[in-house]
Amino acid sequence: MLPTHDDSSSISREQVTEAYLKAIGLIDERVAPYLGKATTRALVQGAARRIRGTYPFLEYLVNRPYTDVVLSVIHEQLSGTPPEELAEGLNMLLDECFAGLRELTGDLIGPPLHDEVTHQLRQWQ
Amino acid sequence: MESSVQSQPNVVDSSFRTPSGHHAERLIAIRQEMEYLNTIGKRFVAAIDRIQVHRALLAALQELYSFSACCILLKGDPFELFVIPCYPLDASFLGSMFQHISNAASRLNFPYMTPVQLARSAYFDAPDELAQTRTEGDIAESEIGSYLHIPLTVENRIIGMLSLFDEKTDTFNANLLQLTTMIADYAAVALENVRLHERENALWREAELERMRLELIIGSMAEGLLITDEKGTITSLNKSGEQLLSEALDDLTPGVPLHKIAETSSISWLPRLGEIIGQALAGNTVKSQEMVAGKEEERVPLTLSISAAPLHDASESSSRPLGVVAVLNDITSNKQVERLKDDFVSVVSHELRTPLTAIKGYTQHLVRRIERRLRKLRDDPNNTVSIAELPESYDLRSLSIVQSQTEHLERLVNDLLDLSEVQWGHLNLHYDTFYLADLLTESARSVQASAEQHHISLDIKAHDTKVQADRVRIGQVVGNILDNAVKYSPNGGQVSMHLEEQEDNYIVSISDQGMGVSPEQFDHIFERFYRVHNTASQHFSGIGLGLYVAKAIIDQHGGRIWLSSDQRTGSTFHFTLPREPAPQ
Repeated sequence: MLPTHDDSSSISREQVTEAYLKAIGLIDERVAPYLGKATTRALVQGAARRIRGTYPFLEYLVNRPYTDVVLSVIHEQLSGTPPEELAEGLNMLLDECFAGLRELTGDLIGPPLHDEVTHQLRQWQ
Repeated sequence: MESSVQSQPNVVDSSFRTPSGHHAERLIAIRQEMEYLNTIGKRFVAAIDRIQVHRALLAALQELYSFSACCILLKGDPFELFVIPCYPLDASFLGSMFQHISNAASRLNFPYMTPVQLARSAYFDAPDELAQTRTEGDIAESEIGSYLHIPLTVENRIIGMLSLFDEKTDTFNANLLQLTTMIADYAAVALENVRLHERENALWREAELERMRLELIIGSMAEGLLITDEKGTITSLNKSGEQLLSEALDDLTPGVPLHKIAETSSISWLPRLGEIIGQALAGNTVKSQEMVAGKEEERVPLTLSISAAPLHDASESSSRPLGVVAVLNDITSNKQVERLKDDFVSVVSHELRTPLTAIKGYTQHLVRRIERRLRKLRDDPNNTVSIAELPESYDLRSLSIVQSQTEHLERLVNDLLDLSEVQWGHLNLHYDTFYLADLLTESARSVQASAEQHHISLDIKAHDTKVQADRVRIGQVVGNILDNAVKYSPNGGQVSMHLEEQEDNYIVSISDQGMGVSPEQFDHIFERFYRVHNTASQHFSGIGLGLYVAKAIIDQHGGRIWLSSDQRTGSTFHFTLPREPAPQ
């Protein structure tokens, strides 16, 4: 489980969304040289599909690659979601992505990347 | 050997071969790596089927790792799973493999597939030449020690997944991951090529089967099928077509257009065939054109009905046709039946005419005798009985009915005799010089006498109406058209006749205010025995020969007859008549 911000209520939905999209971008950047450019996109879609029951706002990510997400559109769609729930859902999404990475490659590339993403997320939030 | 994911992610780490950082050694390592990639690349490029791709993949991977099994899962409906074990595997090991593949595929957002579904559809491919030998005494493990799943991507599209399994732990490492992905990429492209190749082959097979099926259908057709190119050269003629055109087969030189062959051939009907094909090449669809393709001296020669249509490129329908497709039907048997029918009609008509003449003559004789007797009685001063109540008066009325019906029967027989003459080509014309305006006036007066509800008018826009034609026959044409005009406007109304002159012709138009004719009947109205098929027509007498005979008469005079009609306003028949017959 990736650590969420200590005081998530003090940050806006937009900040949360952008921070997690950056985190996914970082995973993509690191994974692409090893497993190809399409892998992270597929992992994010697969992860969103798994947890959309709990976090319906992630439905948006099931049928399109995260790279196609338009920030202004997703901000509008997430307007009714409290920032805490949003952070929780996106955090779960990242966890699922790492679980997927582990399912694919064991511990070959996942653990060091997890540390880097955790570190970066703290800074972005 | 350890490599940090964060550091230099885009550089191929070749430390598995040379850990030294020395420049020259590094260059040698890169060269070795390129040679290696070149070698495996060639293997994949040379692979033309899945089995060869599997062998190339296994050979390349075995140079990197020692592992137990390699699996290829390809997306699709249905999905395909190929399992390539390097040696016989334990059943529970295999079961774990399917579970792993199912989980990993789900993570990559593949459509859900259970381990059982995977096991049922798995295709096992075990190339003996690449099989690894186990150390004696080794027992197959039931647990998976290490695994690696790599998406198979083509142009950033995931088409499947490569999975590697081993009984031992730590078989796979991060340093070789990029190289393994490169091999997977090669395999993905090779598999995609194979898929496309298979698809292409399947389409070719399908097209070939379709072509053979079409050939069989065309070959089995009872109708002849003739296809030409854009110049009118026959490119295809089925068996029935060959039989129907057998007389000309020797003349049909390959590569020469039909109209060229017709110019030099002695076959009398080839020009007609060339003409029909030419019409279709000009973009017209030709329907049911009759052509005698047998010897004229035969009583009923081989007769074909030909329909031809231009062939257009599906994408450019307005351009010049690519060729012509023509269907040839043998209608000789129909012609034989028609001939028999014509013979019968001709014989019966002649046989009927003789007694009719006698009936007509004797009836006339009886009428005159009774009329004479009645005149005597009327003139007799001693006669006290009313003439109308005398039995002779009743007889006279009965004889008038007999006379009227005999005349009707005579007209029918005359129509049938005319039909026979037209059919046999013996419609003889007796040319005479007369004024067409006079003939039209007489005809109008004659029809008007028995058409009290109608008003027949004549409008003449010609200075000189002198014409050289068969007066009786032209009178018959005008009479037939006027009779129809009166008959098919049962509520009465205006019947207008117009006469105009053109350069060498007169145009006669006869209009009525009747029920009119629908456009689809225009083509048939001049056919023999054709009657306008609407319910109302059932109340009208006639056998459908008047217009057929009229057309034959006008045609023989070198004129033209046609119809324009609007079902709201009535019909107008027009015909042209040359001032004098064309020189023979």
